Amino acid sequence: MAFDVRLRVNERVATIELKGELDAGTAARFHETVDEAAATGAIELVIRAEQLSYLASAGLRALVFARQKMGDDVRIAVVGATEPVARTIKLAGFDHSIDLVDA
Amino acid sequence: MEPTKVLVLDERRDAPPELLTALDKLGTVVHVRTPGDVLAKEVGQLPDTDVLLAYAGLSPHTVRAVARRLDDEDQRPTVVAFAEHDLHLLGSHVHAGSDYLVPPFHPDLVRARLRDCHERATFSRTMEDVAAHAELLSYERELEIGREIQMGFLPDSLPSPDGWEIDVRFRPARTVAGDFYDVFELVNRRRLALVVADVCDKGVGAALFMALIRSLLRHTAEQSGLQSLIAADLLGEETDWEEHSRAIPVVGATPLLNAVVGTNNYLTRNHIRQGYFATMFFGVLDPVTGNLVYINGGHNPPVLVRADGGDPVLLEPTGPAVGVIPDVAFSLGYAQISPGDTLFIYTDGVTEARSVPGHFFGEDQMIKQLGEGAARGEELLDHMDGALSEFVGPAEQSDDITMMAVHWRDPEA
Repeated sequence: MAFDVRLRVNERVATIELKGELDAGTAARFHETVDEAAATGAIELVIRAEQLSYLASAGLRALVFARQKMGDDVRIAVVGATEPVARTIKLAGFDHSIDLVDA
Repeated sequence: MEPTKVLVLDERRDAPPELLTALDKLGTVVHVRTPGDVLAKEVGQLPDTDVLLAYAGLSPHTVRAVARRLDDEDQRPTVVAFAEHDLHLLGSHVHAGSDYLVPPFHPDLVRARLRDCHERATFSRTMEDVAAHAELLSYERELEIGREIQMGFLPDSLPSPDGWEIDVRFRPARTVAGDFYDVFELVNRRRLALVVADVCDKGVGAALFMALIRSLLRHTAEQSGLQSLIAADLLGEETDWEEHSRAIPVVGATPLLNAVVGTNNYLTRNHIRQGYFATMFFGVLDPVTGNLVYINGGHNPPVLVRADGGDPVLLEPTGPAVGVIPDVAFSLGYAQISPGDTLFIYTDGVTEARSVPGHFFGEDQMIKQLGEGAARGEELLDHMDGALSEFVGPAEQSDDITMMAVHWRDPEA
C-alpha cells in the first residue's frame, strides 16, 4: 500500500490519517502535516493508524517531532494501531508520552 | 550531417525576414514559437532543438524558463539572443550567459556565428559536467572518510575472558550506520560491558549521533568508580533499582546506571530538538559467575538461548529509548547465563529484514532459527546469517544489521 497522509481539523481536534509505511522515505511528509496541524492551534492530535502497516525507527522519530511540535499541553493519541505498530511504539517506551487507543 | 534544428523564440511569432532567409539557405530546420507556446506544451510535444534563437526583446528570465523546459526533455540547446535594431537589448542576455547574433544576417556570417556559439556552448557544458562529476566524487570521498572515522568508534577487537566467546556481525545498509556495538572491561577487568544499540533514522545524522552516544556511554561507564553514588542521586527516590540495591548490591550496576541515565540526561538536555534517540541493550557481565545485570532501553529483547534446550528467555525493556524522555528512571534487569548458554543481542535490522514480496523476518522466525542454530556463538551467527540471506533473497538490505553472540563454553561438553 502506497504511503498516504491526510489531515482534517474539526473543533480544534486535528486528525491525521496514515496509510502504508512510515519510514525514512515518508517521514518528511508526516512532519509537514504535523506542522500544518500545529498551525491550526489544535488542542488534540489524533493519529488514525488503522491502515498504517509499518512504523520504522524514522517513523518513531517523527512521533518525537510531533510531540515537540504540538507542545506538552496537547494530547496525542494513536488510534487503532495494528499489533506490530503498537508493539514498536510500546517497545521504545513512547506509550508514556502518546496514548495508544483501540479503534 | 543532419540539418541543424533551430527554434526561433519571439513574442509575436515572427522574425526578421533576412534571418529566416539566411537560416533557410543554410538548410536548417526552423520552428518559430512564442514563449507561451513552448511552456504550455506537454512533455514530448516540443520540436527537436539544437539552437534556441531568442529575440532580445524577451526578458532573460523568460528565455531561461524556455531553455529549462527544453532541458527537461534532455534537449539542452545552445541559447543565442538576436536583435535587429535594438542592439542594446542584447546586454542583459549576454550577462545571463547567452550568446548573441546581430545583423547583417548574411548566410555565411550566420553560419559562422552559429558554429562558434555551438562550440562555445559544448565546451561550457563539458566544463559543467566535469565540475559536477568532480563535486560528486568529492562527496563520495567525504562519505567514505565518514565511514572510516565511524569504524573507529567501534572496538578494534573484542575482549575474550576465560571460557567465553564473543562474536559480532555488523552490516550497515549504507556507507555510514546508525547501529553500533561495544564490548569493554569494567571494574578492574572483573566485569564486561556488552552494548548493542540502534540510533533512530538513517544516514549521516544517525551516524553523528552514534559517535556521540557511543562515546558518552563508554566514557561514563569507564569513569564510574565502584563507590560512586552518582547513580543513586540521579535516580528518583522510589525506583525499582534503589529497592533492589538495598537488598543486593550489584558490582557493575553503578557504571551501568551512570552511563545510561547520564547519556539520557545529556541527550535530552542538549539535543532534544534534533529528535534523535537510541534504543539500546547495555549489559554488565560477571564472567566468573555468569551473572548479568542490564538495562534495556526500548530495544528489541535479546534472547538467552539455553544449552539444556529449555525455553529461550527474552530480556524485555526495563526503560524507554535513550534520549527522548528527560529525567526518566531506568530499572535494572537480571539474568543468569549458565555454561553452554548463548546470549543473542541484535538490532531491528534482523527482525525487520524484508523478503522481495515485502514480508518481515520477524521475531518468531528469528527465535525459531536460534533454536536450530549450533550452540557456539560463531556458528550461531553463521546460521542466522544464512537464514537471513535465504529469506531476503535479492531484496535490497534496508536497515543496518547488528548481531552479537555471547557464549559461555561448557567445560563438560
